[in-house]
Amino acid sequence: MKKWVQAFGALLVTLIAFSGLIGLGHSVHAADDSLAKVKSRGVLVMGTSPDYAPYEFIINKDGKNEVVGMDVEVGKAIAKKMGVKLEIKQMDFDSLLVALQTGKVDMVLSAMTPTASRAKSVAFSNVYYKAKQYIIVNKNEKDLYKDKSSFAGKKLGVQTGSLQADIAKSQIPTSTQLGLAKVPDLILALKSHKVDGIVAEDPVASAYVQNDSSLAAIDGKFNLAGDDLGSAIGFPKGATSLVKVANETIAEIKQKNLFPTYLKTAGKDMAGNVQNTSMLHYWSYFAKGVGYTLLITLLAILIGIPIGTLFALMRLAKNKVVHLIAVSYIEFVRGTPLMIQIMFVYFGIGLLVDIPALVAGVIAVSLNSAAYVAEIIRGGIDSIPVGQTEAARSLGLSQRQTMQSVIFPQALKNIWPALGNEFISLIKESSIVSIIGVTDLIYQLKVVQTATYKGVQPIVVAMFLYFIMTFSLSKLLNHYERKMQHDN
Amino acid sequence: MTTSPLMQINHLVKKFGDNVVLNDITETINQGDVIVVIGASGGGKSTFLRSLNRLNSVTSGQILFENTDLVGLSEKQLDKIREKMGMVFQNFNLFPNMTVLENLMLAPMKVKGETEAQAKETAKGLLDRVGLADKADVYPASLSGGQQQRVAIARALAMSPDVMLFDEPTSALDPEMVGEVLKVMQDLAKSGMTMVVVTHEMGFAREVADQVWFMDGGQIAEKGTPEQIFTNPQEARTKDFLSKILSQ
Ligand SMILES: Nc1ncnc2c1ncn2[C@@H]1O[C@H](COP(=O)(O)OP(=O)(O)O)[C@@H](O)[C@H]1O
Ligand SMILES: [Mg+2]
Repeated sequence: MKKWVQAFGALLVTLIAFSGLIGLGHSVHAADDSLAKVKSRGVLVMGTSPDYAPYEFIINKDGKNEVVGMDVEVGKAIAKKMGVKLEIKQMDFDSLLVALQTGKVDMVLSAMTPTASRAKSVAFSNVYYKAKQYIIVNKNEKDLYKDKSSFAGKKLGVQTGSLQADIAKSQIPTSTQLGLAKVPDLILALKSHKVDGIVAEDPVASAYVQNDSSLAAIDGKFNLAGDDLGSAIGFPKGATSLVKVANETIAEIKQKNLFPTYLKTAGKDMAGNVQNTSMLHYWSYFAKGVGYTLLITLLAILIGIPIGTLFALMRLAKNKVVHLIAVSYIEFVRGTPLMIQIMFVYFGIGLLVDIPALVAGVIAVSLNSAAYVAEIIRGGIDSIPVGQTEAARSLGLSQRQTMQSVIFPQALKNIWPALGNEFISLIKESSIVSIIGVTDLIYQLKVVQTATYKGVQPIVVAMFLYFIMTFSLSKLLNHYERKMQHDN
Repeated sequence: MTTSPLMQINHLVKKFGDNVVLNDITETINQGDVIVVIGASGGGKSTFLRSLNRLNSVTSGQILFENTDLVGLSEKQLDKIREKMGMVFQNFNLFPNMTVLENLMLAPMKVKGETEAQAKETAKGLLDRVGLADKADVYPASLSGGQQQRVAIARALAMSPDVMLFDEPTSALDPEMVGEVLKVMQDLAKSGMTMVVVTHEMGFAREVADQVWFMDGGQIAEKGTPEQIFTNPQEARTKDFLSKILSQ
């Protein structure tokens, strides 16, 4: 996953370079004005994936979601040193480096290990925190395991593309690994005995063990050498002035020995989160997720229908060029995954104009839906006998009036069920916007999982919420369908 | 009857690919004429009719309607012309998503910009004229074929056309409904409407037509008064066609 996201980023940059827009992408390399830029903007944008307590996670403070954790403290210290404000952009871990390369964020602070392969595309600061690698196990099996050697032939859970995945593979060669994107999902896998242990950094392992009495952690005693083990801050290649300030800040933090304080604060915040882990307590999280999911779906319907209609008409047009444009659009969009389209709009188009994640998500989902709607509408128009058009035209109605008053209303009735299906699937498919950090229901589900250390309950809640949404919409659409049938 | 040309067709040619369907037709349609077009199936009668209001494109020639050549006009310009040329189809082609009244009111309001009240008044008058005043608010699907075709005629009349084109208006009807439609057409002819009617109803042709045109080989092979065509046809192929159709 990780790798192809990067490959996609590279492809994007190449694509955009080819289209003659290189000037914008390249200016970074000309002279390092990165620090000056941040200063003149007055804001330092930090990208992070807040599902990794105690490094970064979300708490609910006075009814508002806030990203906190050790990395946030480090970020604040750097911003303070620059004399600017810190702004935090949340997104999937997999999207962070693309966001950095495309200028969506100034730095990535997300417990990221500065591996050699990452260093090819990113300028890393010095390592600011070096954790030990622990193995989380079920408490009742704790006595079975001593250290990494006990896991020969066992199955280990690791985060996909992480350092832990690498060392589990190389240092326990007889083990097999289950790679998942999120720690809460790994914990679920452990509890349901899909894996025997999870390789995780000690702060993470301690956080889970403290907050879940059925878990225990043991020191894996992995051989850790070299500076590439630990966490560092990622900056765009060539942003030496930013890296310099970061390194100075890191040195100060280390000198003042602030990390234990940071960890303690994070621990308190986490304890606050788990004081009340009933799903009811987190209703506002889910409500926000439902709100965004509905908002995205509604906008996608409102934008997708007119654009889809336009493409349907273009596809039916006699003009060959117009027809070809519509066919290409429809086939291309239907032939590529929505996920890639979302990343293309957010990161690709985002290189040229800065669009917020929500807007990018809405644009991508709308344009995607438009292609499907176009095909549905075309089918509907095709299904109306040609005699209807001839009758209307013979009365003097223009092509447009014929379409509007005669063909389209009849077509709409025929395609209503298919359109309804498209809208219902939009509710479900729009969930992919969570990868660029739009706080839809899926995203919020993960936030609640992280906050409560409960894996299954939030899934159940989200599942029911999705069902309530799709079921209500389906009832509503049926109502209108019956109404339309009455007219005949 | 005093006559002046309403339509003048000059050297009209229509090909579908290599298939020459209309082969150099030159004819005149005078104001108030009722012309019945007869001919074998596939002989190009529909194509001819649809060329008159340019639902078809034409390959070459002239179609003068009230001194405007319709060949070469843009679709927009044609919209203006088609207002004045009513057309009635074999399959009625009523708009199923609208009530009978709405079917009649659509074009006057959309195309002529009539107010709803105006359009409604005209529509009701016309429904009365075709004997369907009580069906104003029903949907076409609940009407019989004969009733639907009468509505279709009323719908075309709602635009106060200068000419009415009928393409086999009774061919899709059950025999017992043919009469009611022909009756409406006959009344219309009496009122002085210019009509071009493609039909196999020889009784109607005999009684109502001023001229009968026999179409064959992409041309008007023979024309004359009903009397001339039915009792004394000159061309062998006309005789042939008539004997076939009358023996049915
Ligand atoms: N849209 C079309 N494309 C190709 N050929 C057509 C088309 N419409 C009619 N034709 C051909 O033109 C000829 C005349 O058809 P038509 O005018 O419908 O005859 P009629 O109404 O006398 O039965 C037929 O050979 C028919 O196949
Ligand atoms: Mg025909």
